[in-house]
Amino acid sequence: MEAAAANPSGPAVAETIVSCAGLSRRFGEGEAAVDALRGVDLVFPSGELTAIVGPSGSGKSTLMHLLAGLDQPTSGESWIDGVAVTGLSDKGMTELRRAKLGFIFQFYNLVPVLNAEENISLPIRIAGDPVDQEWIDKLLEMVGLTDRRTHRPSELSGGQQQRVAIARALASRPAVIFADEPTGNLDSTSSSAVLDILRRSVDEFGQTVVMVTHDPRVASYADRVVVLADGQITADQKVSGEDEVIGLMRGH
Amino acid sequence: MIGLALRSLATNRLRGILTALAVLLGVAMVSGTLMLSDSVNRSFDDIFAAATEGIDVNVRAKLEIEAGIDLPESGAALSEDLLPEVEAVEGAEQASGAIGDASSIAILDEEGDRIGPPQGGPPHIVNSVQPEPFSPFTYIEGGPPTANDQVAIDSFTADEEGYEIGQLIPITGNDGFSEYELAGITRFGSGVALGGASLAEFTLPEAQRITGKEGEFDEISVEAADGVTPEQLRNNVAAALEGEPVEVKTGEEIAADDSEDIKDGFGFLTTTLLVFAGITVFVGAFLIFNTFAITVAQRTREFGMLRTLGASSRQVLATVIAEAAALGLIASVVGILAGAGFVELLLAAFKALGFELPQSGLRFGSTTIIVALAVGMVSTLGSAVIPALRATRISPLEALSDQATGDSERGSRRRTVIASVLAVLGVLIILLGLFGGGEFGQALAAMGLGLVMLFVGIAMLGGKLISPLASLVGRPIERLRGVTGRLARENTLRNPSRTATTSSALMIGVALVVFVLMLGSAITKSVGDALDKTFTGDVAIFNVDGFSPIPAAVAPAVEEVDGVLVASPIGASAARVEGVDGDQIVTGIDPPTLGEAAQLDWVDGDDATLSGLSVNGALVESSWAEDNDILVGDQLVLTTPTGETVTVEVEGSVRDRVALLVDTVALPIGLLRTEFDTRQDTAILATFDQGADFDVVDMRVEELLASRFPNAEARSQQQLKDEQEEQINGLILLIYVLLTLAVILSLVGVVNTLVLTVLERKRELAMLRSIGASRSQVRRMVRYESLITAMIGAIVGAAIGIAIAIAAVTALESEGLVLSFPIVGIIVVLVLAGIAGVLAGIWPARRASRIEVMEALQYE
Repeated sequence: MEAAAANPSGPAVAETIVSCAGLSRRFGEGEAAVDALRGVDLVFPSGELTAIVGPSGSGKSTLMHLLAGLDQPTSGESWIDGVAVTGLSDKGMTELRRAKLGFIFQFYNLVPVLNAEENISLPIRIAGDPVDQEWIDKLLEMVGLTDRRTHRPSELSGGQQQRVAIARALASRPAVIFADEPTGNLDSTSSSAVLDILRRSVDEFGQTVVMVTHDPRVASYADRVVVLADGQITADQKVSGEDEVIGLMRGH
Repeated sequence: MIGLALRSLATNRLRGILTALAVLLGVAMVSGTLMLSDSVNRSFDDIFAAATEGIDVNVRAKLEIEAGIDLPESGAALSEDLLPEVEAVEGAEQASGAIGDASSIAILDEEGDRIGPPQGGPPHIVNSVQPEPFSPFTYIEGGPPTANDQVAIDSFTADEEGYEIGQLIPITGNDGFSEYELAGITRFGSGVALGGASLAEFTLPEAQRITGKEGEFDEISVEAADGVTPEQLRNNVAAALEGEPVEVKTGEEIAADDSEDIKDGFGFLTTTLLVFAGITVFVGAFLIFNTFAITVAQRTREFGMLRTLGASSRQVLATVIAEAAALGLIASVVGILAGAGFVELLLAAFKALGFELPQSGLRFGSTTIIVALAVGMVSTLGSAVIPALRATRISPLEALSDQATGDSERGSRRRTVIASVLAVLGVLIILLGLFGGGEFGQALAAMGLGLVMLFVGIAMLGGKLISPLASLVGRPIERLRGVTGRLARENTLRNPSRTATTSSALMIGVALVVFVLMLGSAITKSVGDALDKTFTGDVAIFNVDGFSPIPAAVAPAVEEVDGVLVASPIGASAARVEGVDGDQIVTGIDPPTLGEAAQLDWVDGDDATLSGLSVNGALVESSWAEDNDILVGDQLVLTTPTGETVTVEVEGSVRDRVALLVDTVALPIGLLRTEFDTRQDTAILATFDQGADFDVVDMRVEELLASRFPNAEARSQQQLKDEQEEQINGLILLIYVLLTLAVILSLVGVVNTLVLTVLERKRELAMLRSIGASRSQVRRMVRYESLITAMIGAIVGAAIGIAIAIAAVTALESEGLVLSFPIVGIIVVLVLAGIAGVLAGIWPARRASRIEVMEALQYE
């Protein structure tokens, strides 16, 4: 929200942006049932970059899906910026996405027929709001694509496409951005560039970001790491450096 | 690999069903038409075989020129004096003279209107009572008429009208109308409906009187004595009547001839239906092509993977072709069965129009099955060949690429060249057909071939045309609807050739509709203009059905009416003109009175030429005369329908391109009556006294006609024009109906492409939802894409239709056609196409909006 833009200089503390309580998700029924998530409680304060890590099958993706309102929990509740996500109607969910949510996907998911700049402003135009050209210019500059603003996705490299996707996620100044393996499809140089931008969005705009990854190097960019195993939180703490993350993931 | 193909078909059931529909509809039309034609032809054979069962030999007036769809029936008959001569022939057991006349009577209902559909319809036929074994009739109720004021009517008419024995039935004949007591209800021949014709059986004297054939017969039937074969008897009769203008045939020959005549008339219908079936198949081919092109593109990774596993390109080809073959076969078989349903639909439609077609049960004849199967298989396989070849060019490398969107098929330069050549050749062939001076049939065939080439060429070229057209249609939507409109427009441009093929299917339908609309409008306008110029009288009198003749007694009776200045009769006969190819229509005019009711457009001569036209004088139509090098002063040798020759002298030349009065040659009507056996008039042009009150005199004329000649009707100038327009509009409507299946199919094509496309863009649509697009925005986007695709087809189609119509009208300028732009009609067509486009988008749009955001996050 505007609070984020109005407070560009620092990692704010106080305000809770995303939270959940007793979040559980069971897939299937009877004997074949799998408990992907078992009673997770979490609070994400604003202006923080959090990495949710864990091996595959740990429930990290399920957790993100539930937090972002893409899936409904079997039990428990979650909130985004004061709005209860659980049980929201499709219309309510659409409004929530427009006002408060940004997404970054592994495969960028840009609209191939629109150029970089148009892709970035798309969420604003879909919401039917006036496009603030200065803001779009600023985003283009931030992701380093000012000179490629008129290029279509097919004319951009993977890393460039993912940078467009980040700018798009930032465009509507969402309360929180969910990133699902944002570097999963990139080489290490491109990955670093993308992660630097995400980091800067948190540092410069006070953006709140929740990122799912299995890669400790990626997670090391975060302020805080939440480790999941078997649907439960095994660690949740501030980190500095890749080794610390690896240690956390190994359960030390 | 074949198993893989079948698996693919089974898993993509929806795609299979939509594609199968494309094959099925066309095949159903083809098989239905063939089945109907089979069934009807067989019943006509049965009817006439049964009707002539007791006749060994039949004598009729010899006809040199047979009547046809556009040639008037001859009134030629036999003299009664021939009967004793035939009776005396060696080997003849007995002989009987009879009347069988299809153009002299009208059976009326209680209101005094001709029974049957209001706009004319099947004929009312007069038959005279014949002794056994000649009579074609058996009696369901009552018996044959025994007195001159009795009649027997066929059971179909009697059922329809609810007649009961003893009831009085008003019938109008050659010299006015009388009421007849219903003596019997008959069955003709094998007892199936004769295409809706009504049959009235009278005593011989009454039949002769009512048809104006006193002292004459239409035919003489002869029974052979024991031991004499029909062929021997025929030869004997022919020898005895040597030199008479008669034709002698055996009963079997006559049955075959009569059946053939009526089948020829029906053959026209079969051809028309097959043409529209062909259009449907053609449109279906676009749909099949597109489905296969899209699925091959979508399965790029799968085919690439197969190649990495060692599949040869031939095996890849085989999977696609096998899928097409299986689909084609299933759809064709179902289509053939569905053809039976199509027949029921046709029969119901004909019955609603008053033409009850005879039927002897539907059978799936071997020809029908083979032809329909061939049509289905060839159209499916033919349409799938190019996509299948495309699949063979997929390299194993492409299995590794993560994008399998099927976007941007490359439009090679070769393809552009081929497409351009096809389109240009198509246009040339159309122009050659129109201006090449060939016969009507050749011109139509050339136009058909040219249009097919043009349509295919444009569909192939379409990729290049789509961008500007999508802008034209899409910009306004974008302005009104913002980003969803923008995305919709861009989406149509993702794969321009796919959009082009999809919209081309609709283009074909719209082009034909607009062409027909333009041509109809041109005809209406030219005839209207000609009527304004030529017909200076007050009312024209026609048969109520609009095309049958009226009794010659009408004109003198109308002229007697107080306030009528002249009632000038117009007649017509078929004839041949020496030195001119083909049969012609010659007009009969009444020189002393015509000038009072019509203004001829003189090229050579003046009104005095008309009033002073000699008994053997003729007027010619100027452009016809020019085409045939006929000049004023020339002697023309005419052959009458019965083969007599008449020589006339050309005394004047008039311009009458729409053939209102003079189609080729106009002769004094007296000459037609004496030499051409023309007994009836086609029309009467009447002018009222100067200063007379139109309404008053018109009413008197109407009253006279209603009381004495109820099957004739007076029409004012305006009514004539309106009626003419109505007839043209009726025809246009009929063509619309026949095009319906093709148009529906093209919309199914839009649905199909969009459904496949939505599937292909699943992840992207989910992403749009994730960044805040509402369900209704996603729906709107797909609907707009559908609208834009449909409108592109409609606009290109309308442009082609207009262009071809302009060419056709220009080519027919010598027939008097003038260009006219039915702007409202064309706009209506475009608006309807737009609505159809939106409707076609509804279902794919709903599918698109149901995609969940989760799907954007899941891979594979």
